Amino acid sequence: MAWTTKDSGGMKVARRAEPYLTQAMRDELTRDILPRYETTRAALLPTLHMLQHKHGWIPAQAMLEAAEFLKLAPAEVIDTASFYEEYWLKPKGKHLVQVCRSIACEFCGQPEITQAVRAKLGIDVGETTDDGKFTLIELECIGACAGAPAILIDHTLHEGVTPEAIPALLDNVPDPH
Amino acid sequence: MPFHPQGLTSLKPSGRVNPNLHALAHGGGPILTKRIPSWPYADPKDRLIVSYDEYVKTGGYVGLRKALAMKPDAVTEEVKKSVLRGRGGAGFPTGLKWTFLPKLATNDQGQEADPGQRYLAVNADESEPGTFKDRLLMDYDPHLLLEGIAIACYACRIKTAFIFIRGEYHHQAHVLEQAIAEAYQHGVFGPKGLLNGENTARGGSFSVDCHVHRGAGAYICGEETALLEGLEGKRGWPRIKPPFPAVKGLFGKPTIINNVETLAHLPSIIEFGADWFCKQGVASTLPGNNPPSFGTKLMGVSGHVARPGVYECELGIPLRVLVEELCGGIRNGKRFKGAIAGGVSMGILGPDQYDADMDFDIGRKHNVLGLGTAGPTIFDEDTDMVAVARNIARFFKHESCGQCTPCREGSGWLYQLLGRIEEGHAKTRDLDLALEIATSMGSMPGTTICGLADGNNWAVRTIMNKYWSEFEKRVQPTHVAVKMTVGASAKG
Ligand SMILES: Cc1cc2nc3c(=O)[nH]c(=O)nc-3n(C[C@H](O)[C@H](O)[C@H](O)COP(=O)(O)O)c2cc1C
Ligand code: SF4
Repeated sequence: MAWTTKDSGGMKVARRAEPYLTQAMRDELTRDILPRYETTRAALLPTLHMLQHKHGWIPAQAMLEAAEFLKLAPAEVIDTASFYEEYWLKPKGKHLVQVCRSIACEFCGQPEITQAVRAKLGIDVGETTDDGKFTLIELECIGACAGAPAILIDHTLHEGVTPEAIPALLDNVPDPH
Repeated sequence: MPFHPQGLTSLKPSGRVNPNLHALAHGGGPILTKRIPSWPYADPKDRLIVSYDEYVKTGGYVGLRKALAMKPDAVTEEVKKSVLRGRGGAGFPTGLKWTFLPKLATNDQGQEADPGQRYLAVNADESEPGTFKDRLLMDYDPHLLLEGIAIACYACRIKTAFIFIRGEYHHQAHVLEQAIAEAYQHGVFGPKGLLNGENTARGGSFSVDCHVHRGAGAYICGEETALLEGLEGKRGWPRIKPPFPAVKGLFGKPTIINNVETLAHLPSIIEFGADWFCKQGVASTLPGNNPPSFGTKLMGVSGHVARPGVYECELGIPLRVLVEELCGGIRNGKRFKGAIAGGVSMGILGPDQYDADMDFDIGRKHNVLGLGTAGPTIFDEDTDMVAVARNIARFFKHESCGQCTPCREGSGWLYQLLGRIEEGHAKTRDLDLALEIATSMGSMPGTTICGLADGNNWAVRTIMNKYWSEFEKRVQPTHVAVKMTVGASAKG
């Protein structure tokens, strides 16, 4: 994560007329979030969370809007946004399937779980299905070690999953949020 | 007997438990999990989120009321006396940490000077592989944490607490937000807060605010100074110490960082007293003046056991008892091969260390880094220890924040080397190289800013050393071409 180099200087920003950081979001930030902190920058993680929650990812234009709103340099925003893995700076599928690959999960059957998801969706780890419905990633410990192997589908944690249960799980994913 | 245990009678018949072996010495049943049905006291299936009303009905916020009737320094003194040690991994005595805050002047009337802005940063980042204990408290008994926060804020004259919770804990963040709203409503936090009283023993009105701040998927933010950077909206790069956070922390103000479980201990310590707390757990048996391991500890057991889960035990419980008696033994009747001591950073307990006592002495007694989060991951006899080392090396490579070269580069090399060893492409000399890289990185050898690299070092090194023959079997001998210059083979 952390120390990948990023092409922020040469990045071409695709623009759209409608702002990503909506007025309602600005109001909520001004009312509830900004008063908590001594600096506007401290509201950056909550702002990015909000943007991602609404749009599924954080486009460059959204980061520029966040920078302007929080009175930060765009570089400060991208510096933070690119550090944290949970922020998607590229579009992802409608549903995010995250398979835990850390210590308890790997040795309690995670490789078979990843395999079952790959087989069901026809994609590899890090890829998105052609219909844009699913993105599959592996991630480090999600704090569900007693329920290993565990996977997160959007915000829902599934513990003690079996390869056999995967197809049905993926067929019945509720709409996110 | 402070608590009425739900009693072993509520155990389902399937629970194979020897009541003599786990009984908490104070005889009162669980403390942190008093309201969270857990083995061996009750069936986890009965767990429910404890609301404010429920919490108060079962003795909640009594500790806070008692604290408010004491002078703040007396609260700190009580916590110091209990020798409560941090449950976030390092085991630093909590009361002592609090005393590092700048001292406040008092005027002639004994009235304290305004402390100004100070912060409490609650470490709910819980991302150490094998660790899932704080989650249990936040899942079900959020007010226990909030009461602990309120007590810590009162003792340390802190006006704002931020709970830094890892991004993946969506549900837990939600539970906390709701509990915080309830706590504001009932006058724990906010301008009318601290139980609506201006009449605390400290005198003068004092209000505390408490907010949830969600992280975004970075293990390093569990390191206390990286956590502060994350709170400030920056990338989670650990700071060079000194200055220490107690002097110059969040936004440059004095800041205390404590783990969720540490804070959850405060209500009962204040309610029942330090002497009561010290009756649980064990004193250090190491030579010298070592701090004891008092109190109970949430132990999250995972891996190849019949019944993984979080168990509240007194510190000092032998790993074997924890696994065999509480967790139903190694699953499928297999034999014990090893256990991560408490989070992967701590290194491994080998096959002959099954009897290790789970207390803060464990590091020096059993050649691991320490007790860590006391969340052992157990491996059965079929486990490939080379793969275990590779898994852990991959974790650290992934999570290194990249500031320090030995950690950033070393973690990548280690992962590559271990991958090569696992696949059978490595040479004997690669084993020495791996050990050399591991040993050279960390804040203990003095080459890095934070302890992440020490975790990598200890994990890889202890696994390799304790299972050396497995690693040796996986590598090809290093043939050194020798050119003969004398004798029969020298010609040509
Ligand atoms: C790399 C690294 C990761 C850490 N992760 C956590 C964590 O997730 N949760 C935690 O409470 N402490 C974590 N710690 C320990 C904290 O730095 C700090 O010691 C602790 O939060 C202090 O609280 P305590 O004294 O109550 O234990 C981590 C330390 C390091 C070096
Ligand atoms: S030791 Fe590693 S994780 Fe810690 S500050 Fe240095 S590079 Fe970052």
